[in-house]
Amino acid sequence: MGNRNEEDYNFVFKVVLIGESGVGKTNLLSRFTRNEFSHDSRTTIGVEFSTRTVMLGTAAVKAQIWDTAGLERYRAITSAYYRGAVGALLVFDLTKHQTYAVVERWLKELYDHAEATIIVMLVGNKSDLSQAREVPTDEARMFAENNGLLFLETSALDSTNVELAFETVLKEIFAKVSKQRQNSTRTNALTLGSELGPGEKKACCISL
Amino acid sequence: MAQALGEDLVQPGELQDDSSSLGSDSELSGPGPYRQADRYGFIGGSSAEPGPGHPPADLIRQREMKWVEMTSHWEKTMSRRYKKVKMQCRKGIPSALRARCWPLLCGAHVCQKNSRGTYQELAEAPGDPQWMETIGRDLHRQFPLHEMFVSPQGHGQQGLLQVLKAYTLYRPEQGYCQAQGPVAAVLLMYLPPEEAFWCLVQICEVYLPGYYGPHMEAVRLDAEVFTALLRRLLPRVHKHLQQVGVGPLLYLPEWFLCLFARSLPFPTVLRVWDAFLSEGVKVLFRVGLTLVRLALGTTEQRLACPGLLETLGALRAIPPTQLQEEAFMPQVHSVALSEQDLQREIKTQLAQLPASASGPPPRPQARLPGAQAIFEAQQLAGTRGATRPEVPRIVVQPPEEPRPPRRKPQTRGKTFHGLLTRSRAPRIESPARSHRGSTSSLDTRF
Repeated sequence: MGNRNEEDYNFVFKVVLIGESGVGKTNLLSRFTRNEFSHDSRTTIGVEFSTRTVMLGTAAVKAQIWDTAGLERYRAITSAYYRGAVGALLVFDLTKHQTYAVVERWLKELYDHAEATIIVMLVGNKSDLSQAREVPTDEARMFAENNGLLFLETSALDSTNVELAFETVLKEIFAKVSKQRQNSTRTNALTLGSELGPGEKKACCISL
Repeated sequence: MAQALGEDLVQPGELQDDSSSLGSDSELSGPGPYRQADRYGFIGGSSAEPGPGHPPADLIRQREMKWVEMTSHWEKTMSRRYKKVKMQCRKGIPSALRARCWPLLCGAHVCQKNSRGTYQELAEAPGDPQWMETIGRDLHRQFPLHEMFVSPQGHGQQGLLQVLKAYTLYRPEQGYCQAQGPVAAVLLMYLPPEEAFWCLVQICEVYLPGYYGPHMEAVRLDAEVFTALLRRLLPRVHKHLQQVGVGPLLYLPEWFLCLFARSLPFPTVLRVWDAFLSEGVKVLFRVGLTLVRLALGTTEQRLACPGLLETLGALRAIPPTQLQEEAFMPQVHSVALSEQDLQREIKTQLAQLPASASGPPPRPQARLPGAQAIFEAQQLAGTRGATRPEVPRIVVQPPEEPRPPRRKPQTRGKTFHGLLTRSRAPRIESPARSHRGSTSSLDTRF
């Protein structure tokens, strides 16, 4: 997946990271958008976001990745977080079974607030800590299949599968968007993502 | 600003070009023992020397004297001269005296006195395992670049653990809110754990009730209030935010919950806290409004932000020079928002708040707007009957008779020659005054 000049893109896809506190959402974000990882990244309070523009075929896609606090009580103030999201990474820590046990609750939270058509990937993070594994890969994969979710195990620390996780979700979203475009009239029947016409370029004034 | 100024410098690949940082640290790649901490303790931080506009040393000395004098007779000061306290807090409490003044301002010293032994019990009790795990996960994630919090065994992280655990035991129905971490951490930078604990209690229960509990209902209310204030005071900015879809919940929670500890340069954070402990939540609104104005106040700025992300980005990227305390605080204090304005708006928004499916409605009337209200409430509680009689351990001067707070007498233009039972302080600035009346400037409480 190549990188593209931040200034030109045809699509903007909003993807949210959800999951329990401490599973690694913030580091997945920083690994994907800035190729950075920190053991001591601060607790996320409120909302963080970062972007990266990637090529999917010939289309330039700006991935807008959102990150928020995982602790339960923050859910009271983060409903706005889901608005317009077309993709989600539901992250658990594969060395802490408790973070996997609550995945169904997170799914419910997600479907309560986001579009029913949202593309969701279940992500088992911290695969570098293989000795401390508490969630068998097959179990998680089976759950994902049974619930119509994509699935990958990643490590934000050593970068394993991080690109692949985001790329896969973005590709799925893109495929869905393309299909919808084919099925609908030219003018504005899209409910997924926001799109600029071919050849239209959007000025980018990100100051992150 | 997503990060306090002092913490930016050690992100790999993001070296900040900062000409005032200490040492030749541009080649080093991480916080090791060789990197120097700035005067606030941030490793690689840039608060080396006082910035431009910082008051000269003798003015600081004068302020220190004033605070020593005011705090030596705190009840008298708060009964009669709160206006002076408020003014001095706005100017900034001298660094050396924050440890003494903060607990007095927020009434923590009274809590501590009334609950002797409570903190000890809480500190020794085992914590709820579920909270302990969550708290433990976060210990190294608060101010990770501050020298006090670098080591897991250091007194920073250990103090944090004790204080946060104690709170979950003290208020089990409230539990732990992650934002309490940064708040407690800043308190611990200045206070021993017990004092820090009681200050945290006051902040969570008296200054900002409904912020840190399981439903954070007061945060939602204050977000609506903030929007309404924007509409009134910065209408064009408000319109822009609406157009791009930026609601206050996308940026306000971190600001208010952490009392701006993660959003401003550290010296400015301290100034905000000085004013906040004195005047209450109104200060948070004023700071928030100032930040929004600095980020999006001009037409140019708004045009440069055509969408949601750019707008949110602008709110986080205000140039640090505009956030330096001497430039920033006067703007905060001159925001046209009085306590009455605020209360009125809170009332309006509360009435319009949709009933929440889960959780209690916010109760803004439970909020005390600052040091004076807290002092009066504590006095009132005291005269209604303390649980045990107060035995002063060190008598500096004859103890004052307990009496309800009275209004300052109108003394303008009048001269007194021994007509009052106690000599009043003449209104001249002179260092010699501080030694009058008290036997020493050492505070026996600390």
